[in-house]
Amino acid sequence: MNKTFRIVFIGLLVSQALALYTIESMIPVPFIAPGAKLGLTNLITVVALYMLNSKKDVFLIIILRLFLSTIFGGNLSTLMYGAVGALLSYYAMIFVKNIEKDKISIIGVSAAGAFFHNVGQLIVASVIVQNIAVTLYLPILSIAGIGTGVFIGVTSNFIVKHMSKLPFFNDLNISQ
Amino acid sequence: MFKKWDIIIIVTLLCISFIPEIVFGIMGKHYNGTYAELTIDGKLYKKINLSEHRGDEQIDIKTSYGENIVEIKDKSIKVIDADCKDKICIRSGFISEPGQIVVCLPHKFMIEIKSSDIMANSLRCLNE
Repeated sequence: MNKTFRIVFIGLLVSQALALYTIESMIPVPFIAPGAKLGLTNLITVVALYMLNSKKDVFLIIILRLFLSTIFGGNLSTLMYGAVGALLSYYAMIFVKNIEKDKISIIGVSAAGAFFHNVGQLIVASVIVQNIAVTLYLPILSIAGIGTGVFIGVTSNFIVKHMSKLPFFNDLNISQ
Repeated sequence: MFKKWDIIIIVTLLCISFIPEIVFGIMGKHYNGTYAELTIDGKLYKKINLSEHRGDEQIDIKTSYGENIVEIKDKSIKVIDADCKDKICIRSGFISEPGQIVVCLPHKFMIEIKSSDIMANSLRCLNE
């Protein structure tokens, strides 16, 4: 993969993540489970994790997406929640992806990412209100998060499957 | 599309999510609801649990700064008498919502309503 291709590809993924973030922010927060989100931007992270050779590039996408999404429609607190959640879910997804290479599909990886995003959110929340009991909210968030995570996994499964048909991506490590 | 390990991971994660619930269950219950904090000169004088309070109660607070009489009526709290000059604390009336305060500046006396309701606090925090 040459340098220009890498830059353009990362740029495309970041812009897609930002578009998804903007669409997601238009969806109102569900009343039953505040803090629960669809996590559409996680789609791009999962796809990037499966399509890019280097983990550093995935990390770069996450960092760029975090800061640009804060500029587009966020504030300091959303940045804090997003940053801790995204980094935690990034490491969790890499960990899960590497335990059993062939036995885990994208769905498991994405569900783990969604779950650890919620864990990160609650860690920040408990630091802010200085009360560890906020973590009692974890079951509600994680059930919602794993549910959306499974759907994100199914979606990214389709994306990766179709992307791998393109001869363009032959030299990338699309594992299917 | 689903593989065996996906199911294992999802079930494990769901189990992990209940760990805080179990830990707090063992450690004992945490009380929730609103409470009033009475402070004098910045130091905590008394803490009154409001959400479980019934009936009327009067508290006499005598300090070197002066005297205040506080009335607690069901879930609200009020200063009914004070020997200060301005009587601003009396005019504040009943307070009951978390965040509301009554201050008597000459006596360095303050009533602040706080909430230890974890869910309310955390939800407010997450929605920001």
